[in-house]
Amino acid sequence: MTLEKKILKEFEAVVGEENVDDGEVITNVYAYNWCMEIFNYMDGKEPIPFSHAPKAVVLPSTTDEVQDIVKLCNKYSIIFKAQSTGLGPWNQPTSDNSIIIDLRRMNKIVKIDEKNLYAVIEPYVSGAQLQVEIMKFGLNCHMPGAGPMVSPLASATSMNGPGFTSPSTGHSARNVLAVEWVLPDGEIMKLGSYGLKNNPDWYHGDGPGPSLRGIMRGWAGTKSGLGVFTKVAVKLFPYPCKTDYIVKGNSPNYDFEIPDFMKLYVMDCGNFKKLKSTMLKVEEQEISFMCSFLSGFAVMAIFSNSIESLMDKIAIGRMKAPLVLIIAARTKREFEYKQKVMDYLLKKLKLENIIGKIYSPNPIFYAEALRSNLGLHGFIATGGFQSSKGVADTAAVCLRSTKSNISLKKEYAKKGVIANDFGEGTWMSSYESGHYFHMESPTMFDQTKESSVKGMAEYMERSNQLDLVKHLGAPFFVEGNRMHELFGPHMSNYHVWLRKIKETFDPNNISDSGFYISPQNK
Amino acid sequence: MISLNEQEYQEMIKRCLRCSICKWIPQLQIKSQKYATICPSIDLFNYHAYSGGGRIIIALALEMGRLKPSEEIRDIVYKCTECGGCAVSCKFLNTLEPLEIIRTLREKLVSLGYGPMPKQQQYIEAVKNNHNPYNEPHENRLEWLPKDIKIDPNAKTVYFVGCTSSYRRKEIAIATARVLNAANYPFRILDSNEFCCGSPVLRTGDKDSFVKQLHKNIDIIEEERIDSVVFSCAGCYNTFKVDYPLEREFSFNLLHTSELFNELIANSALQLNNQISGTITYHDPCHLGRNSEKYEGWDGDVLELMPLVSINMPEKPKRCGTSGIYEAPREVLRKIPGLNFVEMERNKEFSYCCGAGGGVKSAFPEFAVKTAKTRIKEAEDTGADIITSACPFCSTNLKDGIEESSSNLRFYDISEILLMALDSPPKSVKESSTEVT
Repeated sequence: MTLEKKILKEFEAVVGEENVDDGEVITNVYAYNWCMEIFNYMDGKEPIPFSHAPKAVVLPSTTDEVQDIVKLCNKYSIIFKAQSTGLGPWNQPTSDNSIIIDLRRMNKIVKIDEKNLYAVIEPYVSGAQLQVEIMKFGLNCHMPGAGPMVSPLASATSMNGPGFTSPSTGHSARNVLAVEWVLPDGEIMKLGSYGLKNNPDWYHGDGPGPSLRGIMRGWAGTKSGLGVFTKVAVKLFPYPCKTDYIVKGNSPNYDFEIPDFMKLYVMDCGNFKKLKSTMLKVEEQEISFMCSFLSGFAVMAIFSNSIESLMDKIAIGRMKAPLVLIIAARTKREFEYKQKVMDYLLKKLKLENIIGKIYSPNPIFYAEALRSNLGLHGFIATGGFQSSKGVADTAAVCLRSTKSNISLKKEYAKKGVIANDFGEGTWMSSYESGHYFHMESPTMFDQTKESSVKGMAEYMERSNQLDLVKHLGAPFFVEGNRMHELFGPHMSNYHVWLRKIKETFDPNNISDSGFYISPQNK
Repeated sequence: MISLNEQEYQEMIKRCLRCSICKWIPQLQIKSQKYATICPSIDLFNYHAYSGGGRIIIALALEMGRLKPSEEIRDIVYKCTECGGCAVSCKFLNTLEPLEIIRTLREKLVSLGYGPMPKQQQYIEAVKNNHNPYNEPHENRLEWLPKDIKIDPNAKTVYFVGCTSSYRRKEIAIATARVLNAANYPFRILDSNEFCCGSPVLRTGDKDSFVKQLHKNIDIIEEERIDSVVFSCAGCYNTFKVDYPLEREFSFNLLHTSELFNELIANSALQLNNQISGTITYHDPCHLGRNSEKYEGWDGDVLELMPLVSINMPEKPKRCGTSGIYEAPREVLRKIPGLNFVEMERNKEFSYCCGAGGGVKSAFPEFAVKTAKTRIKEAEDTGADIITSACPFCSTNLKDGIEESSSNLRFYDISEILLMALDSPPKSVKESSTEVT
């Protein structure tokens, strides 16, 4: 389907001729995304990496322009899908009557308030860009686990938002403060203190009355199903160590001057019971910069930059329940304290740190940890991976979910359709001093082999259903009508309420609901 | 002519993650929001199709029949400077070859009648007819050569001047020759037997024309029993070093002038007596830096460790820009008395392109100059008075960028700077208004 010329002209009048394109090449390129082949197959379609092509791609540069675009969409009943850095199938239009609003030209860091510890950003500021600018003030931000090249605004407003540095930088859902939000009808909503009549500012996310942050994103975000977010304030945190950041050498053989007062621990807890108590005890002490349970295979991967270099780390891969932990400090005294706590815990829990004994990573690992580049190592083995499930709950529930998935994963690994990580491939991280945890099950597949794509899709469906049958944590990969209807009846019929929210804000279903939920009566 | 075979190409175009890493300098190297990006094309044109990843998607869509070859595709594929920055960033962890895919895509478009761009076709014809892309008479190729330059007809080293220095940036050829004379380094030139290296036709996808140029040049150098060929042009150097061996082996050595100059200074053949006051920054030409790594052959085995997981035995070499010519020009500049050398934020393997490469300067001059202006701004931000480089093509475009920006920066090729340190030029380059002649 193509856009009527008359309508195209109206979009051009908003953003300028060069910032709207309805050509078949541009629109087809926007139809492609990572893992789209899996989602297509799950929807009963051909397992190809292309979604519906949008009718046009529009590149606004201001909030006013976004509002005008959304109003035009309402006027002509055209669905819009907004995207920022654009990684993943959630960015794809789910209708053949859509345009894509690519927010790439909205790329300003609007404000850094180093005293009140927040920054205001537009959609196309990447995590790395924000981080390097706030490092100049000795500060850090929560970097999405997807990597430093993705948008913190998208993570804060529209996605789930776990990250490797979660013990020290929290979770995107908890980090979002005031927001500028273009609603599905084109009106502006200013959340929190930004909406104040007098002296509006960005320091607080909740205004008078019920919190709209829950409606805006809830736990997992609406993936452009409830409007467009044009500016957001996110919390900032003290940078964990000195901000000297010196990378030497030439890619990919980088070397890094590990900042003073930074130490890595990798410990094999042996079993999930001990892993749970170790994570809880460590997090209770509030000393870690990063604290993640990864499978042995995943620990091999984060220390490698190619499949060949991964395979020479078999000794690490044999660990049964590895915990990867980094402590960092800005002063010697703080560092000594944290080390003492770790020494005490290791002794008490009878654990050994393998770093410096069995293995010492290349110093560049520390730079990757600081910049949250570790998730990208998941692609090394087969070129493709996706997390099959995700739970956010207590450590016990997360580990139960992990454990129950192992036999299912082994079943599909045996079929040869997913890579064999012994069924254990998991990433689990803690939040808010161990008050809650998240786990997901990264699974490696090969997107170029149809049998692998189909097998992966089937495995993901069954893996998600395991949560229903056995666990019922708060899953965060539940998206779209089908999944909400599957999970809703088991969880207080939340989907009914979600539909009511969608209907209230977007009765005409103009904001693409494919990865959210459609209105009650549609 | 690229290193990917058809099977590898078909396999690779299915593997883009759409992660957009190709739009940025390597993530671990980002130091500011302002200079975080690497791709001039997406920086200017904004739509994802104009990125390395976007062009991989175009390649896939063409193979799947979702798209048919068209002028729209041609324009997008050719609005790329082929700087290879996307490939360096991607390959920090990945194994995709965005630059190789773009080059293959251009070759495919040419074979289908949809490339190159009309302006580029003009200079391909010029190379065929007059042996240079500027369509200048071949007999004028030596017009740059002052009478007082000492040429040794028996020398075993040839200075391959290149078309741009011969016809457009003569000051670079002259400065190079004078520096070599000052070092008493014997060299000769190929006179009327020097032909275009073929880079301009190769970069725009005309492989057949390129191969003809390659044979002409190798034939004459081998006939003359030359031991070494020295280049002041990064593009010619790159083409001889990286692209020629894929088609035909040869035994003569290749050197860029920055390497030779550095050696001559180290051997005390050149005495740097003149102080040059000023702050200078260096622009890494893509052809001399990240793209100057040779393709290494690989004759190993693919070992399947388990379903879907294979390793190469031995590990397949990747061209990541690791061992480009980075230090030699910097060492030369650091040795010049009085000159304060400063780095731009984007340098070496993640240097930002000047904007001229890949046929962009001729087909899309506005794009080329806008990119140059971006680079000039970055140079200004270092506090430098002077920007230098080691490529006449970068020289042309950066000078255009300076002019369009009304910048106070001054551009000199590294050979010109070195000549100033040897001769008795103005003491402050910043204050000088005279060109080296």
